[in-house]
Amino acid sequence: MVNRTPVIAIIGAGIAGLEAARQLSALGYKPILIEKAPVTGGHVAEWNRLFPDMSPAADLVQSLEAQTAKVRTMTSTEILSINRLKDGYSLVLSDGNILICQAVLFATGFHLFDASKKEEYGYGIYERVITNRDLEQWFNTRHDARIHNPKAMGFVHCVGSRDIKAGNTQCSKVCCITAIKQAIEIKEEFPDAEVYCFYMDLRLFGKKYEDFYIKAQRDHGIHFIRGRVSEVGEAIDGRVVVKAEDTLNGKPVKVTLDLLVLMAGIVCNPDAQHYAREIGVAVDDDGFLKSRDNVASITESSRPGVFFAGACTGAKTVPETLAEARSAALAIHQYLSKRG
Amino acid sequence: MRERIASHFDPFVIPFLIGMAFVLGYCLIAMIRVIAQLPKADRKRFLVSLITPKYIWINIRDIFLNCLIHVKLWKRNRVLGFMHSSIAFGWFMIILLGHLEVMLFVPERIHLFYYPIFFNYFVAETESTIQGSLLMFLMDFFLLMILSGIAIAIIKRFASRIVGMRRTTRLSLLDQVGLYSLWAIFPLRLLAESFTAHISGGSFLTIPTNWVFRQFLGNDLNALPTWWAYSIALCVFMCVLPFTRYMHIPAEMLLIPMRNAGIRIRHPRKGFALLEVYSCPGCGVCIDACPMSVRKANCKDCTVYLNRQLRRGNERRIEEISDKCLLCGKCTAVCQVGAQGPELRVAQRERRKYALSPSFAGINVRPMASAVVNGAGGESGGVLYFAGCMTQLTPSIRRATTSLLDKAGVRWQMMDPDGGLCCGRPLMMAGRSEQARELIAKNLEIIRASGCDTLLLSCPICYRIFKEEYALEGIRVVHHSVFFQELIAAGKLQVQREDGLKLVWHDPCELGRGCGIYDEPRAALAAAGEVIEAGKHHAESICCGGSLGSLTLSFEQRRPMVQNALDNLTVENPSEIVTGCPLCLATFVRAADRPVRDIAEVLDSHS
Repeated sequence: MVNRTPVIAIIGAGIAGLEAARQLSALGYKPILIEKAPVTGGHVAEWNRLFPDMSPAADLVQSLEAQTAKVRTMTSTEILSINRLKDGYSLVLSDGNILICQAVLFATGFHLFDASKKEEYGYGIYERVITNRDLEQWFNTRHDARIHNPKAMGFVHCVGSRDIKAGNTQCSKVCCITAIKQAIEIKEEFPDAEVYCFYMDLRLFGKKYEDFYIKAQRDHGIHFIRGRVSEVGEAIDGRVVVKAEDTLNGKPVKVTLDLLVLMAGIVCNPDAQHYAREIGVAVDDDGFLKSRDNVASITESSRPGVFFAGACTGAKTVPETLAEARSAALAIHQYLSKRG
Repeated sequence: MRERIASHFDPFVIPFLIGMAFVLGYCLIAMIRVIAQLPKADRKRFLVSLITPKYIWINIRDIFLNCLIHVKLWKRNRVLGFMHSSIAFGWFMIILLGHLEVMLFVPERIHLFYYPIFFNYFVAETESTIQGSLLMFLMDFFLLMILSGIAIAIIKRFASRIVGMRRTTRLSLLDQVGLYSLWAIFPLRLLAESFTAHISGGSFLTIPTNWVFRQFLGNDLNALPTWWAYSIALCVFMCVLPFTRYMHIPAEMLLIPMRNAGIRIRHPRKGFALLEVYSCPGCGVCIDACPMSVRKANCKDCTVYLNRQLRRGNERRIEEISDKCLLCGKCTAVCQVGAQGPELRVAQRERRKYALSPSFAGINVRPMASAVVNGAGGESGGVLYFAGCMTQLTPSIRRATTSLLDKAGVRWQMMDPDGGLCCGRPLMMAGRSEQARELIAKNLEIIRASGCDTLLLSCPICYRIFKEEYALEGIRVVHHSVFFQELIAAGKLQVQREDGLKLVWHDPCELGRGCGIYDEPRAALAAAGEVIEAGKHHAESICCGGSLGSLTLSFEQRRPMVQNALDNLTVENPSEIVTGCPLCLATFVRAADRPVRDIAEVLDSHS
């Protein structure tokens, strides 16, 4: 079917990159995965369990890795520069190689918002304030000095999302359900702890998400307080004092907690923005890469031969990312077939 | 010397006389009005200052240096300084020398208003005497000086970048009439004097031009029309003057003594404010200075346009401009006449009627007062630290400050450990000074109860109001950057210098321009690393863009201002940006590409 093998560079070997590589290999291409980190799997590899089935994240990553074992994968490799050629792109890699390719797939994913930028929440200042990523790592490793038999704990939704002051107006999409998932998990771990969720509004759009929400309230007694946290202080014993407004009661609330988890939002990977600018691919005003069309061709960029998969165009769930990776693989296939 | 015209009169002086009578009458009435509009106490203060010898001397000196020589403008931009002082000082000297000539040669005509102005038409003089040649030389010299100034003015009008101004004001129609008539006056005077030079005498400028003209025009009939034209140009200029930006010439001469007497803006349209508005020369230096003007849409929101709208009485725009301003005070810092843009805007905001005005008079501060009494433990003296509301959002500042106080062994306690009352400054900025006063009274109660001798602030917004509006006699009000600098200098605080650490200090508006503190923070930082300067610094530092001053700017609109301020700070590529204001910090942290910390954090991590 394919006469001469065109080279396809996939930037990023997270789940989007791995899935796209798997599909492209199945179509008979020879994609090349370029990963900055020493291991593949991206953010999902750091996660413990995935909603809604609570399946282990490691299973998904391992299965993807096993299916892409034959794909040429360059880990610990950075892209120094990327240039446009007449009918393709050239990538200068940190190992000294130059990769000439006919198509580039951005599977660059996201960056977790730096929660210390919201200084009023005290991340990096107070001992007992952690992020969603820290908690997920604790689920994996069970090692974190900050988490020690908490009696009361809280989750702050929308840290660095839907926040014009933080420069991010977009919704990070997955934090609502992640917070509920983590709240349930930690409640299962410490059944005596009181758990509070401070939210603006809950966006539980996906399959079974609403069930999680009901379960959290009914079976686990997790308290949901609608209202943004205004500030976080530290009590003399090192516990954190959270001040917020309960907008349903119309009253200010103040609780003292042993642990506060900040649901850091999703922002675009700055490397992706940098590469995109180098080859003239548009960046949207929310900082994510701009698709040619947000309805009909979300995996295609404004430039021929450049494709997107996953969170580089906006916050996405795991199943959405995988579906988009397959779709991008097909789009690349069509593009390369048409060129002949 | 002989008088050429037996009747000592010619009809061409009539336009000049009309213009002169009009402008003098207008200015006299305006002056009386401004003085009458002052509050009684201010008026008395001003009138007394006019007859106090010390003030008389200061006033004369300031008027000479500012109105004629334009010293402030020279310091800022030499080309513009030369342009303005050559026109103002040259013109003044021509008028002065004209009177001198009349007094010297025809003292009996001194009562004729027009004689000194048109002296060369009425009196033929010879340059053979020392007096004559000297005076004529000086007349030509100052005329040449003015003409050179006019030449620069013409270049500036069409290519402002050449003289170092990025943006300049758009002129109204009357301003243009005033401008072109002003440009016309002096070339016409040169022509008029040149045509008469072979009769009335001249010097190095007028005699050669006279010779040139006579080569192809050749008869004396040209003289009279040019004298007419000169007189008409003067008339046009003086008749439009009160309605143009040139009103700043007479207005500034009243503004300077009034400011020296310590008069402040009390009403946005009356008295001193009115005078300030009329003193605005419309030069547009504030446009480039204004932090908002990085957005082209906001270029018309700076002080020069506020003054213009106040003169026109455009209420909608006045409100809009007054509410939008960040109150950073940079326009005042660069202004040649020292027009107080922020004060004018706050006075305007104070006129607003609110449907709801919550009162703070009912707040019970007794628990807070007794907390600080207990904290003092019966001892008087010591430091009372008021961290302020902004540090609730930037807890690292509070933490670093208290840690440094402990390291230096200072006896201190906190005034607002669990959140306190607002200092009142944000309300002041919003024009709600009555409510601010209620808060001030409450806070004073707590401070007095503590028995402290030093009030320490880590927020310049609080610092400024505690210094300016609180009656805290006997208690030292100090910003933490100054306090720590003193502790370092006294050897009570040991700070380790880190090699290769390049720190840039951002002057917060309220601390720098607001309270004049520039050097102490730099001195304190020098103990921790190398201090480098931003592109614009000290009094010209650029507002971070997060200021509480603006009531209407959105975050979207502020973003380019924040970026511009950051670009200015990072021109020398510092490894860290340091500031002394929690609001600047919170604003910068979210947009900066490198660490931004408070001065207390930097010192704490190096001690």
